[in-house]
Amino acid sequence: MDAATIALVGLSHHTASIELRERVYVDSASLRDTVRRMMESTAIHECVVLSTCNRTEFYLHAADPASAEAVAIGTVAARAGMSPAEVETCLYHRHGHEGVLHLFRVAAGLDSLVVGEAEILGQVGDAYELGLSLPESVGPVLHRLFQSAQAVGGAVRSETSLGRGAASIPSAAVRLAAKVFGSLEGRSAMVIGAGEMGITTLRCLLSEGISDVLVANRTLDRARETVAQIGGRAISLEDVWEEISDVDILVTSTSAAEPVVARDKLESSRGQVGSPLVVLDIALPRDVEPGVGGLPGIFLYNIDDLHKVVGATEEARRAEAAPAETLVADHATRFWRWYRSREVGPLIKGLRAHGEAVRLAELERLLLGLDGLSESDRDRIEAATRRLLNKLLHPSTVALRQAAADPNAINFLDRLREELGLAAVSPRSEGVMEEEIEGSGPTNGSVATESEEANETRS
Amino acid sequence: MIIGLHLLAFVLYATAWVLQLRGFRRGREPGISGVTVAGAGLAVHAAGLLLYALSYRSLPLVGLGPASSSLALFISLFALAASVRTDLRAAGLFLLPLVLLLLGEAVVVGIEPTGRQIAFRGPWFVLHVSAIFIGYAGLAAASAAAIMYVFQFRALKRKEFGSVFGFFPALDSLDRLNKVGLAVGFPALSVGLLAGWSWTLTFGRGLALDKPGTILGIVTWGAYLVAITARSRPGPRGERAAVISALAFLVTLVAFLALQITAREAGFFL
Repeated sequence: MDAATIALVGLSHHTASIELRERVYVDSASLRDTVRRMMESTAIHECVVLSTCNRTEFYLHAADPASAEAVAIGTVAARAGMSPAEVETCLYHRHGHEGVLHLFRVAAGLDSLVVGEAEILGQVGDAYELGLSLPESVGPVLHRLFQSAQAVGGAVRSETSLGRGAASIPSAAVRLAAKVFGSLEGRSAMVIGAGEMGITTLRCLLSEGISDVLVANRTLDRARETVAQIGGRAISLEDVWEEISDVDILVTSTSAAEPVVARDKLESSRGQVGSPLVVLDIALPRDVEPGVGGLPGIFLYNIDDLHKVVGATEEARRAEAAPAETLVADHATRFWRWYRSREVGPLIKGLRAHGEAVRLAELERLLLGLDGLSESDRDRIEAATRRLLNKLLHPSTVALRQAAADPNAINFLDRLREELGLAAVSPRSEGVMEEEIEGSGPTNGSVATESEEANETRS
Repeated sequence: MIIGLHLLAFVLYATAWVLQLRGFRRGREPGISGVTVAGAGLAVHAAGLLLYALSYRSLPLVGLGPASSSLALFISLFALAASVRTDLRAAGLFLLPLVLLLLGEAVVVGIEPTGRQIAFRGPWFVLHVSAIFIGYAGLAAASAAAIMYVFQFRALKRKEFGSVFGFFPALDSLDRLNKVGLAVGFPALSVGLLAGWSWTLTFGRGLALDKPGTILGIVTWGAYLVAITARSRPGPRGERAAVISALAFLVTLVAFLALQITAREAGFFL
């Protein structure tokens, strides 16, 4: 059996502090280079990097998983400024079915701090899209894996109640602001950085009655575009300090590498303002200097704090997550069957070729001893042996497909491969191989597709 | 019957407090059940005092038992009035123990006339005691808000999103309750003290500075004057005002206990 498998190396809020996650985070600008460098390793056939504020994960399809993981660990260590041994303590590894299950759980929001959050599904899609835009980064395995992950994420949200009323970072931000101000009716808010998360948070605040909105962005045009959609006033980053004294809630969501809100500047700008200021720093790396939280009348919360706020809600949601877990596990099993069946395809093909060779040899021997047969009789005998072969191979083909998903059958399949004299599967030629598999089989030769597997599972 | 009604009110208030405690332990915002039970307690309590007034043809303002019960009623009224706003239902967590303490004291010492009723009557006296009680009740509400503010403020600053964060109201709501409590309580206390002074003048006497009640009133008035002043200073005032309000309550409580212990007429000075 081929040693190639799906491997995952990653760190997340479960295993790493926000400081480490900040260092390891791969922004969209450097994501291409990171993937490209990883693909230079011959051990890696396919690679997708999923990097969000909560996790950085390397999904690999590799002929040599150990070497491929070493490349990923080296990449993480370099970004973290640590040795591979040091960073290893914060990493997790998943192989094969476990890796598939992990990605599906991530896409479904089951691995998120805020269980059921919807943002992660979009981020999984973005990681996949970016992989597609890079040559050879996404092949048939990760292509199908990420498409399936997105389908699972959608199914969980539409078929279970996990997504309903799910707490999110924006809703946590609203709750925190409400614990300071009570009603948010008539309050003012400023958003620095017109990114998606910042604007989503702003929309949440607006739905709670925020009346005065300022949107500051590095490029004023982008800020103007945003206020054209949601209302408010666009300002440049330079004007932030003039306006900040009249603001009740400040949301920062830029992609700046350095903090954009400095303690000294905020302190001098706010002066003796009597009302409090809630600062919600939802950016990673953080936009606000941690010392800002020590200023009187200022309540500073970063992304980890927002996650804590909904911690209790998450506990309640975990209890509601059981149906989603079942759905995810079902999809992961289906995917894994497909993955293993694409490896068993050449076996089926080899078995059929072997049978066909035996049939033709035996047919030739038989016909040599039967002189005087008419052409139509010969055709009838030939058709009978073909039907006989198909009927004999059909149960074997079905059994092989089932064995593909059974970890205990690996030795049996390896032995069969040896008996048939078949070489290992080349992961980079799977597209061709899949087509070949589709054409083989007992009656029409097809190996179970994912939908067929689903039907089997349901029945 | 009067004692029976007071005991029933005590049980209802205690139940309401337990419900509040349960909500606090779970870190959930208080529900309507605690408020409903406290409201029932207030109704029974008021019925008990009404029965006292009808039975003895005298307002329950004189004597430790009746006076404690009346003060408890005023504080309970404040707690319930605050609970009209959903986000301030949690105020009962701090106000109900005060109510229970005063009501328990009233039940223990007895809710009966003291025999001094003839001396302590007339409109000035009624105004004096009623205003003082409203003043104390308002200040108790302001203090409860201040204490909760300090806890909530620290929970928010320290990012501790547990019971205090979940159960206690928003800082702004607590600041408003503190403001209203001071705005009602301080003038009422001032009026009460002035009315008391005027009342003593009718006997040809000046301000009775040797009386524990007078000392307590003046100490409380001074403590809350400081709390009001703290609110008017520029800059972020929330925590500062809350801490000073809480300290003012502590000063009043210490003064009350010290006078109870040292004054010979301790059981009467309320």
